[in-house]
Amino acid sequence: MITCPNCKHEEVDGAIFCSECGSQLIKGENVHTQMIQPEVSDDRVTGPIADDRPAANNAWISLHMLDSGQILPIADQTEFTLGRISDNQPIMPDIDFSAYKAYDNGVSRLHAVIRHNNGNVIIMDLGSSNGTYVNGTRLLPNTEQPLHHGDVVALGKLKMQIVLS
Amino acid sequence: MAKKPNLYALLGVLRSATQEEVRRAYLRAAKRLHPDTNTAPGETELFLGIQQAYQVLSDSSRRSAYDAQLGPDEELPPTFINQRILFSRKEISRMKQAQLVYVLLDLFPNEKQKRENSAAPLNICLVLDCSTSMKGEKFDTAKSTAIHLVQRLKNQDLFSMVSFSDRAEVVLPATRQVNIQRSESKIRNLQTSGGTEILRGLQAGFEEVRRYASPRSINHILLMTDGRTYGDEQACYELAQRAAEEGIGISGFGIGSGWNDIFLDHLANVTGGTTMFVTQPKDIERLLNEKFTNLSRAYAENITLDYRPQENVEINYIFRLQPETGPLASGSPIRLGPILHDEPLSVLIEFRIKPLPERQDALNLLDGRLEISSAIVEHPIPPNPLILALSVKDNPTPEPPPASIIQAISRLTYYRIQEKARTEVTAGEYDQARDHLQNLATRLLAQGERGLAATIMLEAEHIEKEKSFSQGGEKQIKYGTRALSLPKEKRP
Repeated sequence: MITCPNCKHEEVDGAIFCSECGSQLIKGENVHTQMIQPEVSDDRVTGPIADDRPAANNAWISLHMLDSGQILPIADQTEFTLGRISDNQPIMPDIDFSAYKAYDNGVSRLHAVIRHNNGNVIIMDLGSSNGTYVNGTRLLPNTEQPLHHGDVVALGKLKMQIVLS
Repeated sequence: MAKKPNLYALLGVLRSATQEEVRRAYLRAAKRLHPDTNTAPGETELFLGIQQAYQVLSDSSRRSAYDAQLGPDEELPPTFINQRILFSRKEISRMKQAQLVYVLLDLFPNEKQKRENSAAPLNICLVLDCSTSMKGEKFDTAKSTAIHLVQRLKNQDLFSMVSFSDRAEVVLPATRQVNIQRSESKIRNLQTSGGTEILRGLQAGFEEVRRYASPRSINHILLMTDGRTYGDEQACYELAQRAAEEGIGISGFGIGSGWNDIFLDHLANVTGGTTMFVTQPKDIERLLNEKFTNLSRAYAENITLDYRPQENVEINYIFRLQPETGPLASGSPIRLGPILHDEPLSVLIEFRIKPLPERQDALNLLDGRLEISSAIVEHPIPPNPLILALSVKDNPTPEPPPASIIQAISRLTYYRIQEKARTEVTAGEYDQARDHLQNLATRLLAQGERGLAATIMLEAEHIEKEKSFSQGGEKQIKYGTRALSLPKEKRP
């Protein structure tokens, strides 16, 4: 049982909102783009990693944004969608590129998905308007394409390099 | 695309289909296309193709011979819809108490299919209430909007119009290339009189749409009323059920405060349609036009979820977030409604899981398939299998639910608190109803929904004083909280 912190009503396990007063009962994941210091990538190459480092450093994949040089590590999810959030659309990508001029670069709201299974990393275009490119080749929509360390992915005109850990 | 489709594509089954699935697909396709009921050009040929496909595929030796000649690489038609499934959690704990899991299901058009197939023609009947209470601005606006719809029709579209009070009259029989001037004068001459017997109007409308109904057109009845019907509700539901089975949808428009929202919602729900609340006469034009646009933008006009109940699991609540919001009736098959060209179908399901037995490691929430009806393609579409499964652990790793699920549930929670308050008022529990509405108003204020919050606060006071909802307030809150699930730019 979960007790609502606001009105003390008891909810069944797995409930996310209180059915009596509408309060949110559990915290959600952070969908906003994680900002990361450049040290992270240095850390990855310079040596063994301490066990107590924050979860964000546990990334199995990082996106190296070619325009800004920023590195976005992805940790907990084995599958994540790329796109941009637009006003109050119920569909939200896991990684939001709004901060990277996503709209001007032609990134669709739900542009592509990157997935990790059995040691392979794949990317799939989700029927975006301006296409997904891997090393300059446009992908067929809804078709899986393997990704390798160092590949350059472009969502419309927004380019990023894939860094696999 | 000039290539002849293979037999599997003709029947709309996957290559892995079992004999039973082949048989079912054949029966469905044959029913859709039988020459006795379908007169649209080209359909007799399609029907013969289906016969031939079934003769081969239902016979296991002929089927394997055909498979051998087809070769393993023979391409299947590209998937028609893409699905995205999000769980509120992927692991649940083995426990002796009930628990909840949410699933958000998004269905998108396949971009390639979308490009290659053009929009389907419409086959629409407007069924307009002409009872005495409609007199005045409501009726005038409804009539001028009807004329506007006639002007919007394309050459291949079929349109008809029925007026009803305590009897029904076909104002415009179903026809293509409607004569605009003649229809205009017929519509202008309509007068109000008499009571409201919805069944009569619905029956006449159903006959008009049915006459030329085809799997290649979008068949829909638009029912517009401001009143209540008495005694014929059950017969209306049965008619709606029949309409749904024949691929005809029904959508309702309730004007003002006197109509029966529970009835109209249910009626539309049976067919996968929706009901709109028209608060004031000037909204008639906007809402009817919007609906008309949505119908002509349909990529698949109805998706039906057919499922087998799973042990220890029940569907507690199912709600459509997009393209049109509203609760859906659970119980297989569930008509989920349309996928539009530029808007996905988005459905949120709440599963309630009963206490689980000791040794269970996995749990199927749902085992079923999505049946797709789309007028934009010639051949039936194979169903999309839909299996939702979770793993069961003693100590599952806690993971935060995806943000889009949280957002969807928050809006749904508001709608359900409103439902609760309504039930409580009916049961005479006025204090609880008031408290619920006040909680709801507080939440909405925090979200910046000041208009709706104010309406709800007024209604809470009204309940305290009068022991009932005000007539308009009840519907305003219901459709207002329902609309919260829509993207901002689509809100009324």
